[in-house]
Amino acid sequence: MLNMTRADSLRNQWTIPGSFGSGAIALITGFVVFLAPDTAWALQSHGPPEGLYAHQMAHILLAISMAVLAYWLEINSYTKERGWRLIQLSFLLFLLWNLVAFSGHFVEIRITPDLIEGQRGGWDQRIIIEGDFLTLAYYFLKLDHLVAVPAILCLFLGIRNLYKQTLIKVVRDK
Amino acid sequence: MTGYYSLAPVLFSDVIGSSLMIVISFGAVWYASRLKKAEPSNLMWMYLLVLSAAMAGFSISRSVGHLVKHLLLFTGHSYIWECFRPYTGAINSIAFIGVASVTFFFPKVQRINARILSDKMALEKATQDIKLLNHNLEALVEKRTRQLSLSEKKYRGIFEGSMDMIFVLDDQLSFEDINPSGLATLGYDSPSELVGTVSLAEIFFNTSDYEEFIRDLSVSGSIKDRECRIREKSGLEVLILLSVTGTMSDAVKQKSYVGIAKDVTARIRMERQLQQADRLASLGQTAAGVAHELNTPLGIILGYTQLLLRGCNVQDGSHGDLEIIQKQTKNCKRIVQDLLKFSRDSQTKKSYVDLIECFNEVISLLGHQFEKEGVIVKTSFEPDLPKIFADGEKLEQVLVNLMVNAKQAISGNGTIAVTAKIDQEHQGILISVSDNGCGMSPKTAEKIFDPFFTTKPVGVGTGLGLSVSYGIVQAHGGRIEVESKEGVGTTFTVLLPLPDESEQNVEDMQTQAAKE
Repeated sequence: MLNMTRADSLRNQWTIPGSFGSGAIALITGFVVFLAPDTAWALQSHGPPEGLYAHQMAHILLAISMAVLAYWLEINSYTKERGWRLIQLSFLLFLLWNLVAFSGHFVEIRITPDLIEGQRGGWDQRIIIEGDFLTLAYYFLKLDHLVAVPAILCLFLGIRNLYKQTLIKVVRDK
Repeated sequence: MTGYYSLAPVLFSDVIGSSLMIVISFGAVWYASRLKKAEPSNLMWMYLLVLSAAMAGFSISRSVGHLVKHLLLFTGHSYIWECFRPYTGAINSIAFIGVASVTFFFPKVQRINARILSDKMALEKATQDIKLLNHNLEALVEKRTRQLSLSEKKYRGIFEGSMDMIFVLDDQLSFEDINPSGLATLGYDSPSELVGTVSLAEIFFNTSDYEEFIRDLSVSGSIKDRECRIREKSGLEVLILLSVTGTMSDAVKQKSYVGIAKDVTARIRMERQLQQADRLASLGQTAAGVAHELNTPLGIILGYTQLLLRGCNVQDGSHGDLEIIQKQTKNCKRIVQDLLKFSRDSQTKKSYVDLIECFNEVISLLGHQFEKEGVIVKTSFEPDLPKIFADGEKLEQVLVNLMVNAKQAISGNGTIAVTAKIDQEHQGILISVSDNGCGMSPKTAEKIFDPFFTTKPVGVGTGLGLSVSYGIVQAHGGRIEVESKEGVGTTFTVLLPLPDESEQNVEDMQTQAAKE
């Protein structure tokens, strides 16, 4: 304000505040909508496969994010420390798990339900494998926890290692 | 590979895996929170806490869904599961997106953290540098202060301990500081008496000398070894060799002067005494020669005059003439004898004498006469003065001469002070005769011991009294000095040496033998 020129002061004088401008736009839009009505396609129905697609896309997004994060840790030299290396391994395993889960969902909708016998959710359930790859893949892809658990374990171990190293540093600094 | 395969391993891994996922993910959150607590300023730990929390959320959403599914199906509530199933899938999808969103923040967080860490490191480095500088500065200041203190102490020691007078004058040539030796030279007790109150002009004996000094100082900027006559506090004259240098102070941009002065009064006096002694010695030789040459014819004249007087009748006209010749010849003989005494060519009969006894005799003889004329004689003799090996009669003559001179210097009432004490410094007996008479000029004082030099009117004195005293004192291995100030008074000082121990022992033995 100390060095404000005459032009600046005039500009400030004639500037419409933001809130007022937004209000004006909303008001004009309202008038246009209510005074000039027309056919509107407000809602669109979403069928059953959309949930699965959204879920699969979420898997892809998570996989990409895990890959990016692992890459970032690498290029920023975080992996010199054991803790961060374990965390990076955790992300890579989560990346793998995403691929497994994505593939599992992909295969699951392509096999017929009559290939599985026994009470649903029971311990006596069996799967009939007739030499086709899809059924075999389904069986193994259902064992996704063999990847997910090590992934979360690596994250846990990585954070625990970082905590211990930090504790040593803090104590040394003190 | 064809056949029936149990799905129990799949179910088992699903239940156990889901449970482990929840437990381990919460373990990760717990450690991440501990990590955050251990180092709160590290943004990466905050990120890891958020990430592990997101992972825990993902694990719960997924694993709880799986466990609930198995529980519901196992208990035969498949219809409930069918209702619940879309929700778990949606929640799972949201959890995936949540975790992904958190991971995409990593680069940003990493950059901010890197900035924070670099700033922190820079701050720590700056703090360390400041601490180091501060410590170094403190050490440096301490070292410099110590050096300054030592230097100050050293120069203060030189200043205080110097035997010569050292002083500082301000731009008005008034005393700013002076060392103890300077105070002693000028006769002051403390610097406060002098500093800021007395100027150099006031201590100069002559204004003309001071003006010449200032003129030369302003022309050349400094003066080296100038012989100056200055005045003590008591008014006594002191001869000094004065060196003064003008300096400009950087701090206050003011001119000041540093001076060093050496008291050469004693040296100059000694030189003058030596010159005088040389002069008087050569005069003495001449006087002795003349006296010896005159003594014989005077003796003959006196002898023949006395022979003629014996054979001459009193009524005879020439009798009176012969008596005049005899009287004048005796006068001449006395002068010749005085000259011989002055030239130390007269015989002395030395023995151990008690000075106080000798002096008391003289004082009782003269004191009464002097008191009649308004002159008081004060005595101060140190008790137990040792006997000295001297000619008592001649020392009495010296005291008489000095007291008579003192009396003649006093017009009207006055005081003559006679003192005798042991002077440890010069290993002798110091006798002084002071008067508060008219005093004399330095020029007169220089010639006072010269034979036939007198300030008295013609016929009143021969000018041989002090010369004879000088000769007697010299003959006793002593010395006689005079200090005088016009209008104040005169002090004659006689220093006679103390007897040797060997001489003392011999005398004691002789005394003992005489008693036996």
